[in-house]
Amino acid sequence: MTRRRRTGLLSASLAAMTAGLLSGGAAAETLDPKALITERCASCHTPEGTDSWKRISHIRKTPEGWEMTLFRMGHLHGAKLSANEATALIRYLSDTQGLAPSETADYRYILERQPNVSEAEADEGLVTTCARCHSFARVALQRRDADEWLKLANFHVGQFPTAEYQFMSRDHEYWKRISTEMPKILGDRFPYQTAAWTAWKDADKPDPAGTWIVSAYQPGRGAIGGSMAVAPAADGTYTVTYDLVDASGQPVAGGGLATVFGGYEWRASTDLGGGSMREIMALSEDGKTLSGRMFQADADEIGARVTAVKADGQPTLVGLSQASLKAGESKTVTLYGDALPSTVDFGPGITVAPLTAAGDRVTVKVTAAKDAAPGWRTVKAGGSELSQAFAVYKSVDSVKVEPETAVARVGGGGGAMAAITAQLEAVGYLNGADGEPGTDDDVRLGALPATWTAANRDAAAEAMEDAKFALTSHGGGLFQPALAGPNPQRRFGTNNVGDLAVTAAVKNGGKTVTGEGRLVVTVQRWNDPPIH
Amino acid sequence: MTMYRKTLLAAAAGLALVGLAGGEASAKEYLLTAAKPNKVVLIDPAARAVEKVVEIPGPGVAPWTVIPSPDAKVAYVLTAHNEAVVGVDLDTGKEVFRTDMNEPENVRSKIMPAVELSRDGKELFVFVSPMKELPGEYQVMDTRVKVFSTADGVGAKPVREFEVPRRIALFFMSADDQTLWGLGWDLYGIDPKTGAIKETHKIVNGPKPDRAPADILDFWPQYEQADVFSTPYYTFDTTKQADDPTAYKTGMLTLDLKSGEFVMDEFEDTSAVIFSSVVNPVRRNEVFSTYTQLSKIDTATDTLVKRVDLPHTYYSINISGDGEEVYVAGTMCDIGIYSTADLSEKGRVEIPGCPDQGVASLRVIER
Repeated sequence: MTRRRRTGLLSASLAAMTAGLLSGGAAAETLDPKALITERCASCHTPEGTDSWKRISHIRKTPEGWEMTLFRMGHLHGAKLSANEATALIRYLSDTQGLAPSETADYRYILERQPNVSEAEADEGLVTTCARCHSFARVALQRRDADEWLKLANFHVGQFPTAEYQFMSRDHEYWKRISTEMPKILGDRFPYQTAAWTAWKDADKPDPAGTWIVSAYQPGRGAIGGSMAVAPAADGTYTVTYDLVDASGQPVAGGGLATVFGGYEWRASTDLGGGSMREIMALSEDGKTLSGRMFQADADEIGARVTAVKADGQPTLVGLSQASLKAGESKTVTLYGDALPSTVDFGPGITVAPLTAAGDRVTVKVTAAKDAAPGWRTVKAGGSELSQAFAVYKSVDSVKVEPETAVARVGGGGGAMAAITAQLEAVGYLNGADGEPGTDDDVRLGALPATWTAANRDAAAEAMEDAKFALTSHGGGLFQPALAGPNPQRRFGTNNVGDLAVTAAVKNGGKTVTGEGRLVVTVQRWNDPPIH
Repeated sequence: MTMYRKTLLAAAAGLALVGLAGGEASAKEYLLTAAKPNKVVLIDPAARAVEKVVEIPGPGVAPWTVIPSPDAKVAYVLTAHNEAVVGVDLDTGKEVFRTDMNEPENVRSKIMPAVELSRDGKELFVFVSPMKELPGEYQVMDTRVKVFSTADGVGAKPVREFEVPRRIALFFMSADDQTLWGLGWDLYGIDPKTGAIKETHKIVNGPKPDRAPADILDFWPQYEQADVFSTPYYTFDTTKQADDPTAYKTGMLTLDLKSGEFVMDEFEDTSAVIFSSVVNPVRRNEVFSTYTQLSKIDTATDTLVKRVDLPHTYYSINISGDGEEVYVAGTMCDIGIYSTADLSEKGRVEIPGCPDQGVASLRVIER
């Protein structure tokens, strides 16, 4: 890819860390991490006995959490570490003071760099105290006792004295609150010692080596699936080799290098389909699945949600290249799985003609009868089945714009930061048995071709003519924001931000069904750490 | 001397005497501001021209609070990443005062960003948020005021210190030098000798009936022309629903630095963002405010008189001594000059090389 991002000095260093450290340094395993801590860290983090150091040994974090700590120690406190040394430390700390899989499960979106996430934290006090500046997930992915959370409060106001002056803090005695109430609240909710971590630390860790069946979905592009071969390589890393096809049947091949931190945190850098990609995924505790996200190294909003299942020679259906079929029409569908027969079943009203031989990727032509009943179909292949993964429809009952609220960021224009796009999809639904849209029994038909429009969302947007300035294009639901910087053509010479109502119009027989969403085009993110 | 005498006389004698009140035929008003990196900028508003640019020595990029000495010879500027106040002589360009906050050695103090001079120019008051760097951890310390003698020049050490509440953003000295006003959660009247809080005007802690606590974020200490500090504030009518646009109110806070009179009154349902404001020294019910729009507010009737769009965002604002021209500055590299009568544009001055002014104060001096 040619897009450039994070070109500032600090940002470039952060990006270098992000791209390099967590994908496996060549000599990382041969370094002695405890000797490194003694040599590079212990002048401030004084030893407290065997393998224990002030502060370091009282915190648990994710690999990215430790990465950010090491970056800050280098940037602000002169702790000089080579990339290999930093990787060795991140591995050691993730293994000995990481988080258990169950402790990260609810907050993986932030590690995976998912775009357009609205967090669901219910504690308003924690939101205003912590999540007004960064994600709540960044807090929830750390474990400390109250005295250590208090030290973190001291770090925050010590390092960022403006924290007391910001919106949502300046209306109360912020420092008093975060130095008295908050440490106990956080220490109770996210304590250093947990049963989950104790159990996970001592548990046998899953072995990623082997063949995996991959089923992935990239918004705006569709399904991608096939197989992934993982083999042990030097210094505790793994080579990854992909054999994938996209929904149109085009091969997506490539591979790279992966490292597993803390026994399950899979991080890889790959060259896939001609582009540099990064992977942030998690092995399940039983080692049977690997799931997470792969995304472009230089544009992390563009990526695919991935589910992989370890191949064991038994017929297993993992995913499909298509989500739905209109009654009376035909489609080519590829099934991603392990040891699949060439003959598969798509349920009543659908005839299936095999197009390929049996194997781990089977392509068939499916035809729905004109009178096929609308609704879910269970797809069966060699004793394995997938339910609610494929549907038949006669007409689309409703269209939802997904995500319902999206964020894009202006960029380029001679500035240091590239624009961040937003990929929206028009997802069709059947109303289901209750005849009502938006209820649990709706049948999801997948993304449908749509005509997109963007308009001023409210009177304020109208006054500033947001729709005229905020976008350069939005073909295929890919919303490309306008250039960064003051725009002399706009009122107040303001930059090209905007609050837009987006509409997707899907043709449905002779009629059109529309869905509405919101797109906020906002300013650049100047600070782009591994955990937002 | 002259600038304070002038406003005092003008206020006493009224509009007709303004032209005579300066007392020195050669004295003339200049605008004093700052720009990146580390520049003090002197502007002749009558000539619509930059008079001179003085480099601030030492580290730093974005100068913030600018305090002119009473004799208008020295500009005291907060710079060095909020860790130093530097006094530069506006005639010679030389550094005549400097105090760095990095003492004692393991304490790092950030100036946040309240800085003020006594009216006699002899003492400098600096609000700091200190933090102790211990091995492996930081320890937040109580916020305090460090008082310096300007006569101590470069390398000045505090002559006294006292603790004050956290989160103070602005200082302004009463005309009689007896009260150092600090704007934080509330407006504190501080004894500049002892640090004792003599009186408090409640803001966050004293909402009016049916009102949410007022929200103020103002870092611009421009009060010298009328000797009245003013700042916009925002509040919410608690009897109304959050989706009711008439629930949101903007008001004006004024503190007369001579009489001590303190007023907070709403003038509109919130319809614009305002960062800072200034009182007309001649028609003292007129207040002008800035952000992306220039507003004229009548505090006698608590009404918005007029509002016009500005070409871009301007954070800071000041006014001519005759009350005829209002100046908007800060943010980018130009200073806009507008008529106080009808808010029409009268001129514009661009700083050579177009450096950002950022959050720098805009002050008026007479020299």
